[in-house]
Amino acid sequence: MASGGLAELSQGAEAKIYKTIFLGIPAVVKLRISKPYRHPDYDRVFKHRRTLTEAKVMTYLRSLGVRAPSVLYIDPDAGLIVMEYVDGCRLSECLSEMPEERVAEIALDIGRQASIMHVNSVYHGDLTLANALLSFKNEVYIIDFGLSGYSRDVEEYAIDVHLLDRSVELLYPELRNAFMDGFWKGYSINASTSFVEKLKDKVRDVRLRGRYIEERLRRRVSKDRYV
Amino acid sequence: MENAATLSLLENIVSSTHGVDLSKLTVLGIESTSHTFGVGIVRVSSGVFEILVNEFSRYVPEKGGIHPRDASNYHVEEAPKVLHRALSKAGVKLSEVSAIAIALGPGLGPCLRVGATIARFLASYYSKPLIPVNHAMAHIEIGKLLNNLKDPLVIYVSGGNTLIAIQRKKRYRIVGETLDISLGNLLDTFAREVGLAPPYVVNGVHQVDACANWGEDFIDLPYTVKGNDLSFSGLLTAALKKARKAKSRKELGSICLSLRETAFNMLVEVSERALVLAEKNEVLLTGGVAANQFLNDKLKSMALIHGAKFYTVPADYAGDNGAMIAWNGLLHYAHGVVVKPEEAFVRQRWRLDEVDAPWLPED
Repeated sequence: MASGGLAELSQGAEAKIYKTIFLGIPAVVKLRISKPYRHPDYDRVFKHRRTLTEAKVMTYLRSLGVRAPSVLYIDPDAGLIVMEYVDGCRLSECLSEMPEERVAEIALDIGRQASIMHVNSVYHGDLTLANALLSFKNEVYIIDFGLSGYSRDVEEYAIDVHLLDRSVELLYPELRNAFMDGFWKGYSINASTSFVEKLKDKVRDVRLRGRYIEERLRRRVSKDRYV
Repeated sequence: MENAATLSLLENIVSSTHGVDLSKLTVLGIESTSHTFGVGIVRVSSGVFEILVNEFSRYVPEKGGIHPRDASNYHVEEAPKVLHRALSKAGVKLSEVSAIAIALGPGLGPCLRVGATIARFLASYYSKPLIPVNHAMAHIEIGKLLNNLKDPLVIYVSGGNTLIAIQRKKRYRIVGETLDISLGNLLDTFAREVGLAPPYVVNGVHQVDACANWGEDFIDLPYTVKGNDLSFSGLLTAALKKARKAKSRKELGSICLSLRETAFNMLVEVSERALVLAEKNEVLLTGGVAANQFLNDKLKSMALIHGAKFYTVPADYAGDNGAMIAWNGLLHYAHGVVVKPEEAFVRQRWRLDEVDAPWLPED
């Protein structure tokens, strides 16, 4: 299958990533590994399900204009996906050296792509800076669709936005405003104003759901008072 | 308890003293955030650190779960006894104590108020500094102390909390947490609703674990991981629905087994992702649910895959206790963190990531 040999690129939490040449194309092999801590029956279902979802969603989104690597081959029973190799860096690693305007541009592109997903009823499930690549051709790719799925529930979309916001906050607190402003600008290209407003409300709801958030308590108290 | 971590921690403290005499320091800590009323006393004396005493009394409901009012009444009854026991066992008089540390939150309001009232009284009557302590941070710091850890990935699971944290820029940052109920709450509520509990834990084994031994089949239950966050409420509802239809002990056993497997796998999965992202080589499990052997085994094997070492905390220090409040109070006190008794309000909601931890490294 692989004609260029396999070179291990990285070991993620869920899968091992190898680089290879597949049918003459530089490719990445993502192999989901069995976990000793999982019940064996469960492990099987798990690997199968996630591999299948990931490949399906990636292919679907690509056809809609989201920059996801193209899927070249899958074997769900083995937990294996072969996909196009994108030469670049993860945004979690290469955002710090950039001027703020460049960060805003990248965020805008992520926002644009996220809205294409959401408008077409797909959520990513783990949309963080670590799952966005900036290619050396300066294109933003979204990767790692293992937790994604189809849903018409705004809640799922809000969680995507919340996760992204939190990962920016964690890694680059000083860039958070520039990034999220850019994100929403890009998001509004494909999504209607009413949808964006609804989503923003939901994002706030999701954020307040974290444990022991004072704002949540205050909100309830003031509601009780005026309703 | 003189070891490398303690000494280096103390060196850190000494390098940044805020007019506090560190050659001899005795801190009394009071814990009353939930079902436990605890008093611990810790001492530093010429570079040697000791936990002098860790006394507590735990409220066990006769039926149902923890009723905040009943628990706080229990604390009112028990507090003087526990305090006396701690002082006499340690051979320390209140007048000899350097400062009083109190867990002001997060927790159940009525319970918090019992501890806070006592601590405020002791601090004003004996003119001692009062130190506000965040309960979650105390859990983490005692685990680090006892295991000699510098920078672990922290997994804190109890009846009230489920979170994964790392230290960064002088604070603990939450990298993943539950969006609704906690892991302990999930297991306890399930056990209670299907009639297995109380008591929730018998001979160190949780009722859900005992019940899981009756079953063998794996049943598909909702698995809800959102990025690095968890949601257990849908899992609870689905498991209860299935349990109500169960016709045999074996069937119920399979539901218990699947519930436990699903819930623990969710937690291990997000822990694993956090471990890989944060690139830590130590994993610390703490909190009341840390005693669970199955969870220990799973996390241990996960840590092993990534070449990280797994640590847990002895039961007396993993569950709620006063010693952890005293130790964390000592750390705060050495960095000049005190509160006036009249301003020491309890905070039912007090997030771990809101609290400065000045003893942590800069990056």
